Amino acid sequence: MCAVAVTGMGIVSSLGKNLFENYQSLNTGKTGISTPEILQTNYKDLPVGEIKINNTRLSNDLGLNPGHSYTRAALLGCMAVRELLHNSGLSEFDPGTGFISGTTVGGMDMTESFFDQFSENSENLRYIQAQHPGFTTEKIAAYFGLNAMVTTISTACSSSANAIMLGARLIESGRLKRVIVGGTDCLTRFTLNGFNSLKILSGETCKPFDENRNGLNLGEAAAYLLLEADEMKGNRPAIARISGYGNANDAFHQTASSQNGEGAYLAMKKAIEKAGVDPVNINYINAHGTGTGNNDLSESVAIKRVFGDHIPEFSSTKALTGHTLGAAGAVEAVISIMAIQNQEVFPNLNFSQPIRDTGLMPETKLHSKQLNYVLSNSFGFGGNCTSLIFRNE
Amino acid sequence: MNKKYYIKDYVILRQGRLIRNGEVLLEAGNPELKDFLRKIYKSFGMRYPKFFKMDDLSRLGFLAAEILFDQEKPEADTALIFANSSSCLETDKAYSKTMSGFPSPSLFVYTLPNIVLGEISIRHGLRSENLFLVQDRFEPTTMIDYSHSLLNKAKASNVLCGWVDLHNTDYDVFLWQIAASGRLEHNEEELNKIYLPE
Repeated sequence: MCAVAVTGMGIVSSLGKNLFENYQSLNTGKTGISTPEILQTNYKDLPVGEIKINNTRLSNDLGLNPGHSYTRAALLGCMAVRELLHNSGLSEFDPGTGFISGTTVGGMDMTESFFDQFSENSENLRYIQAQHPGFTTEKIAAYFGLNAMVTTISTACSSSANAIMLGARLIESGRLKRVIVGGTDCLTRFTLNGFNSLKILSGETCKPFDENRNGLNLGEAAAYLLLEADEMKGNRPAIARISGYGNANDAFHQTASSQNGEGAYLAMKKAIEKAGVDPVNINYINAHGTGTGNNDLSESVAIKRVFGDHIPEFSSTKALTGHTLGAAGAVEAVISIMAIQNQEVFPNLNFSQPIRDTGLMPETKLHSKQLNYVLSNSFGFGGNCTSLIFRNE
Repeated sequence: MNKKYYIKDYVILRQGRLIRNGEVLLEAGNPELKDFLRKIYKSFGMRYPKFFKMDDLSRLGFLAAEILFDQEKPEADTALIFANSSSCLETDKAYSKTMSGFPSPSLFVYTLPNIVLGEISIRHGLRSENLFLVQDRFEPTTMIDYSHSLLNKAKASNVLCGWVDLHNTDYDVFLWQIAASGRLEHNEEELNKIYLPE
């Protein structure tokens, strides 16, 4: 079965500013959840997965001139794509390289800070367009001189999973030979207040799949994969392959998942069919597992429907990274590939008691395991559910 | 693949007028958007309490879809391919105003344009393909390519396409369904003719 090669990746998250630091944190179970220091908010005590590098330091690191109009998500995105380039074995991106980026917050960090000043202060007018999520993508593309197909996907928390799926399809259909896929999102007051108003933020580090889970922690991150057609890859190694993907709409509620997890069920089923394997071949699931009452129950029900009596080992890594919204699918794609590279299952923190109705037990300890197929779930508001399957090369 | 498709039927909501397949079904002067929306809801005898929880962008898309699905309910694999230029900016602004007091959860959930698709999917139980594009202006080429590709690959049996834009108080809605046969060919020229009549 032909599957699309992943030949490079990069990440910056609250777990660290590169792959190595992220792996160290995953390996030692060290959470990236803290309280806001860089995000200016009244909610000083709400736990978040914040990257402790401010925009000035990010800009300096990237060699940007003062007066640039990069949003925080663009700065984080540039960091992750730069790392991807370094470890891809390429010296630069060739002109045909596509760029598909998922985001849900886009540049709202800038518009929410400057909106009230736009009419008086002309200095920040350069950020007006930042409200459009495509603005952030274009900035990252400009930094690397990417001007082939450049597009943005914004489907809430499945955005970057959908970017990966689109990229894989473009490679399979021969439309592109090489494409950078993933996503970026930063913390903002807009989202922190919004999720808080929905009463789905936890006041402590989240407890995915625990009976007493009480909400999620927002996070910020950028993560990207390089996908290539085999003819472009040459002798360079593939670090993993994307063998399956599926997307379905839950058609239930604007922000909540259905009781029977229909959208999640359909997405996983489609991905497994596409991969051409039996469900028993899936060795590990990196679950969406946000830590909200609704998601974890619905996802558990969907997992049981797909896998029956043979539930694969699974864990949610969101108690480590926080829920990075549009970037989550790509963050967890990187984590899934790290799991395959190291043949290790990463722990689901803060779990003590299974959900009464479903009884599923996530993996709570780091351990070695033969991983050939890893499934990663990402479900977004609007009912947009996506599953990806990564295969060991 | 050059298989031809046709425009089955369409709805336009613009300047207080509701037009279906060229026929003006409702002419409401130029009322406030909220009044216009309520009038359509009432005149079609709709009963769907969730309508009143929606933001204006969702209401526009929802009503237009209801009018098209009035005679014939959509197949379960009807795809939804929508676009606009102002995304959900109106609701973004409204929600962000509430942030200085009590941030509104009911507004926050609508700060994503694809929620329009979610509302239509919920109404008709559609777990099908859907896409919401944000473009500079009405430019149907992408929607045509995308929907034909879905039909050719049998990923959908029917496609509801739509332009649902709301900016300040200006709204502009044009929804259409695609069919395998019909009078008007589904192409850029015909769509532009309907969208921008002389």
